[in-house]
Amino acid sequence: MEAFWSVRRPVSALHAGDHAWLACSGAEEHEHVVGAFVRDGLLAREKVVYVAAEPEPRIPGVVGTPSPELLTVLHAGHTGPRKALDAVTAEVEAAECAGFAGVRVTLDLTCAARDPELTRELMACDAALDHLVRPSAALSVLCRVDRRRVPPDAVDLLRAAHSVHAAPDPDFEDTVLRIVRTFDPRGLELSGELDASRHTVLDQALATVLAHGDDGPVHLDLAELRFIDLGALNMLAEVASRRAGRAPLVLDRMPSQLHEVIATVGWNMLPGLEVGRAAVLDPVPRP
Amino acid sequence: MGLTHRALLYDGRSDFLAATGAFLRQAVEVGGAAVAVVRPDNLGPLREELADHRDEIEFYDSAEFYRHPVRTLKAYLELVDRVSPLRVHAVAEPVWDGHDARQRLEWQRYESLINVVFAGSGASSLCPYDRSTLPGDVLDQVRLTHPVVVDGADERPSDAYLDPASYSAAQDLGRRHDRPADAEYLPIEADDLQPLRLFVATRANAHELTPAAAQNLVTAANEVAANALAHGTPPMGAWVWTSGDEIVCEIGDHGHWRPPPLTGFVPPRSALDTGFGLWSVRLLVDLVELRGGWGGTFVRLRVRR
Repeated sequence: MEAFWSVRRPVSALHAGDHAWLACSGAEEHEHVVGAFVRDGLLAREKVVYVAAEPEPRIPGVVGTPSPELLTVLHAGHTGPRKALDAVTAEVEAAECAGFAGVRVTLDLTCAARDPELTRELMACDAALDHLVRPSAALSVLCRVDRRRVPPDAVDLLRAAHSVHAAPDPDFEDTVLRIVRTFDPRGLELSGELDASRHTVLDQALATVLAHGDDGPVHLDLAELRFIDLGALNMLAEVASRRAGRAPLVLDRMPSQLHEVIATVGWNMLPGLEVGRAAVLDPVPRP
Repeated sequence: MGLTHRALLYDGRSDFLAATGAFLRQAVEVGGAAVAVVRPDNLGPLREELADHRDEIEFYDSAEFYRHPVRTLKAYLELVDRVSPLRVHAVAEPVWDGHDARQRLEWQRYESLINVVFAGSGASSLCPYDRSTLPGDVLDQVRLTHPVVVDGADERPSDAYLDPASYSAAQDLGRRHDRPADAEYLPIEADDLQPLRLFVATRANAHELTPAAAQNLVTAANEVAANALAHGTPPMGAWVWTSGDEIVCEIGDHGHWRPPPLTGFVPPRSALDTGFGLWSVRLLVDLVELRGGWGGTFVRLRVRR
């Protein structure tokens, strides 16, 4: 069960005292979310501790070569959660002694979460980390797993243990429209209202999704979209036509009133667009 | 591929059945897609008349099919597409009762639009008009909107036929454009149209439109306003008022666009074609009235609850 007090928070809005969690669906999401966590820390000249399973990881969000004082990379390998926790605790203490106003730690729990024998130890260490983070005015932690490589029950257990679920930063956000990347399925989540004054930002966000993807479908989650103008439908049809021969643009969870608008205009006017999942509440909790 | 668009003037039921029955039988014989869209009281007798071709003819009730002229055009377009490469042979009988003067005018315009919208479809349409019951002004228009009129054994080109653009322009001459003094007004001053949507939605809801109809009106008003912002001349704004069951939203700017008479009536092939916006606006509301001149460009959207 998801903890009833859990919140979903864009990664840039994580703050000291947050013990957050991310179940990545792949490298793109890792790059996007963990990259933002690392980059924001380095830009603010906070201490960043990156704990990886592999010996020489490629650190997302890093531009150039940051000073070793700012960025520490720990190789947790297969030493087990306890040793990793000790190493992190030592780094955090050192950083606080060195006078850093902020300390960010991100840990890859994938290896430990894959091994059922380590579950108890992992959860105990996570609880210990929680005691360290929650009262802190400087420390924030982002735990991460590769969801594809971890058994679902371990994912559920970890999800329940974290009160904050890290979400991607919006590609765009103002008082009227918000656009957020989604990774599983690949696409965008649109909330609010979309009209001509915001076509450009949608076009840019779509271009980013399309640039990185294969020829698979691109999903637009419209559950929170209250208005879409005809110009935006025209734009989506244009994008779909440029992808002719490849997978369609799929409109998921479309509110009934938007559905009605498109039905009135005629789906046949919008080649390359498809209706995806229905607009029901998603019974599966979000990672 | 052309279009055969003929009016059938008939007197009473047996006349109707003989002529439409023969037309549909022939449609079946030549391997066309035979379709009958007829008024409810003609539907049963025609089915009976053509019982031997029951599975080869699609029957529709006009009362369902003819609710909104532009949506009816769309429905016929979809029918033509669906049965392609077969050609549609349709008995197409509109409904002429229960309309006010403005609605009747739009259905007459619809009959004329058939000539341009289906010009390349290869379809054949026979439109029955009951001379014994229909009012004179409906019958008067038949020769203006149909290039060929069938009257008993007599079939001849109509010498009164007008091309759809001229017909449409003539229909609009009698339109009145007064706006009540108590119409509410919202100036449109920025690219962000959220205030306009709120202005229209609030009044549509207060007028008790269904949520879907309100959203359709808001979408239409937003489209017209976006066009005004893109092509019009400030100052621009929107008026909303109600009249009986109807809510009216008018968007105006000071540009000098003179919309051609068929603007937004000729369907695009897809959203990628020009004309998608105004065609969609015509589908989204009950009636769109365009007018332009030296006083500015005005688009009036009407929806009944």
